[in-house]
Amino acid sequence: MTGAAASVARFAAMGTRVELHVFGCDDPAALAAARAAILSVEDALTIHRPSPTTALNDALSSGGNAVVEDRLLFGALVQVDALWRGTGGLFDPSLGHWSALTIDRASRRVSSTRPLTFDFGGFGKGYALDRAVTALRAMGVPSALLSAGESSIAVLGQHPLGGDWPLAVPHPANDGAWLVELELQDAALSISSTIGPGAAKPGRAAMIRPTDGAIVTTAATAIAAAATGAEAEALSTALLVSDPVARDRLCAAAPEQRFLFPHAAPVGAERALEPTA
Amino acid sequence: MTDDDFALSRRTFLDRVLLASAGVGMSAAAPWAARAAEDIAKGPRVRIGVIGTGDRGRTLIQNLNKTRNCTVAALCDNFEPHMAKARAYVPANTPIFTDHRKMLEAKGIDAVVIATPLDLHARHTIDALEAGYPVFCEKAMARTIADCSAMVTRARARGKILQIGHQRLFNPTYLNALKRAQAGEIGNITQIRASWHRNRSWRRQIPPGGTEREINWRLYRDRSAGLMTELATHQLQVANWFMGGLPTRVMGSGSICFWKDGRDVYDQVALIYDYSDGRKVIYTSMLNNARYGCEEQIQGSKGTIEPELGRIYQEVQPGAVPALARMRADVQAGRKNTVPIGGATWFPELPVTTPGDSLGWGEYDETMLQFEGFGEAVRSGKEVPGLLAQAYYASVASLLGEQAIDQGQALAWPADLVTF
Ligand SMILES: NC(=O)c1ccc[n+]([C@@H]2O[C@H](COP(=O)([O-])OP(=O)(O)OC[C@H]3O[C@@H](n4cnc5c(N)ncnc54)[C@H](O)[C@@H]3O)[C@@H](O)[C@H]2O)c1
Repeated sequence: MTGAAASVARFAAMGTRVELHVFGCDDPAALAAARAAILSVEDALTIHRPSPTTALNDALSSGGNAVVEDRLLFGALVQVDALWRGTGGLFDPSLGHWSALTIDRASRRVSSTRPLTFDFGGFGKGYALDRAVTALRAMGVPSALLSAGESSIAVLGQHPLGGDWPLAVPHPANDGAWLVELELQDAALSISSTIGPGAAKPGRAAMIRPTDGAIVTTAATAIAAAATGAEAEALSTALLVSDPVARDRLCAAAPEQRFLFPHAAPVGAERALEPTA
Repeated sequence: MTDDDFALSRRTFLDRVLLASAGVGMSAAAPWAARAAEDIAKGPRVRIGVIGTGDRGRTLIQNLNKTRNCTVAALCDNFEPHMAKARAYVPANTPIFTDHRKMLEAKGIDAVVIATPLDLHARHTIDALEAGYPVFCEKAMARTIADCSAMVTRARARGKILQIGHQRLFNPTYLNALKRAQAGEIGNITQIRASWHRNRSWRRQIPPGGTEREINWRLYRDRSAGLMTELATHQLQVANWFMGGLPTRVMGSGSICFWKDGRDVYDQVALIYDYSDGRKVIYTSMLNNARYGCEEQIQGSKGTIEPELGRIYQEVQPGAVPALARMRADVQAGRKNTVPIGGATWFPELPVTTPGDSLGWGEYDETMLQFEGFGEAVRSGKEVPGLLAQAYYASVASLLGEQAIDQGQALAWPADLVTF
């Protein structure tokens, strides 16, 4: 394949900038389908305007139950449920209350024994990229790189010049240094960091440890590669909030794909940078 | 400006109003606009008696003179120096009065325009309605919410037109702004930040023969709610209009902070008006710093409108990711290089100095247009639709704001208001 035919879409979605780089396919409908897939995930999962998620939050915020009609939201809940189990409860977009939740797949009824609400945050970005990848694949796109806020990345197929996509995660403090270099194909990458450009911007949601509700303030970067964006997001979040025992267990399961880098506080800083303003 | 120039500018002005008011949802949001831009009926001019020939009264007289369907037929003021200035704008034989009841009894008029101090609006309006005359009264409506309601109730009981002056309702820039907001260009409007900041005392020189309370009525509570009724009313009207609803409650704080000159109205106020779905109007007004002037920043999820400046701004779109641009260039050149990417999620910068786009149009005759609408309403006996509700709710909002400040507590929107 030559690198000639490439097209790109750039737009704001899910509170950040999204870029879709498609190679080897000239059909503008492919990019349009991927973009629509991302925006429909935003519509389903957003908590910044009325959405299926805010409707469900309204119902569960008093500990009730509701039938989830929205296909994308229900799909997200089912995936999160599996990832919550897979990470031993460390990935929990309900701020540590997922155990109170029952999801009945047949009736699509979600009920909770205690008041809770969902904020899908980073997971939403990974989940949206997964839908976009599916859409591009259905349109016959052989190769693509998708980025949501540069912290959620998905690659479809091979690099346009063949072989894996070489990606590197830069050190957040030391210019020119890399934390890790990865070679990926048909995979997703998620980076969660409490420092670096953007980490201290107003409006950033804090990283919360579900086990005790504390805000994670230690300077660290967690990196996870996985088959899907949803998994990668769940794992990078879990790594960032994990204690050393849990971290070792998570990393040992896929040492080439999961990393946690603690950073010393930058010179001159009196305390570790906080993730939110 | 020659008469021909004026006729031309009137036509362009009306065309702009019409253009701005013809949009999806506009007939519901601004039902008066399309009607105001219609041609006026033939027939004798509506004879207007003006009560109050102070600063505003004289501006109104000049605007009445520009209309095609009204004429000033009597003047009333109990302060001679103001009357003398006003007479310069009307024919020498125009009857003049010092007592409004005498003017109402003298007949010779078809309708009344009121531009007296706020505390007199209710009495002058109700006296005129009782005498059988339609009334145009300047904003704010009255000194109390009860009086505002009484004015509406009395007009209805007497079957007479009551119109309250709110010129922004006829301003093509505002109408255009509303049209673009209705079309979704700035997304859901979730917050309006409005301010009227001036850097002057607001105190007027007392002319010979004048008294402090008569000339500086704005500075005393028994006559005016100060910043709230004289300035905020305009912007609270705009806020209700763009929010497409009414506040649910208001909280506020006020002080006499800078001009400690014997006035007893606040020279600084700050208020929050809650609207449904968590939307808010944040209002500030002060008299010792003019940097931020008079503006309503109408903020939605996709953009901002600043109608006083006549600008619309889109939320800033993110720039390209440099590492991905390099990746594309590399692929193009047949190079496969490592793509450095990833860190804390990229977050949009706060937009600060984007220039925005013009909403168009700078000069208006909206006060004249209000009067042409009023003239047609008097002739047909049918009020210009929608206006009174806008004015009434704007006055209630400003007076409720004053009460919330005075009482130091959040006040719910009153349940016992007149309905429209
Ligand atoms: N829409 C606007 O943009 C706008 C602008 C300015 C003023 N206004 C409104 O116009 C009104 C007048 O404001 P102004 O600045 O002209 O005040 P002003 O003090 O200059 O004029 C008020 C006039 O009413 C006269 N008056 C007082 N008592 C009277 C009585 N009993 N009978 C007859 N005349 C009487 C006074 O002598 C004075 O000439 C206020 O309600 C104000 O809110 C509206």
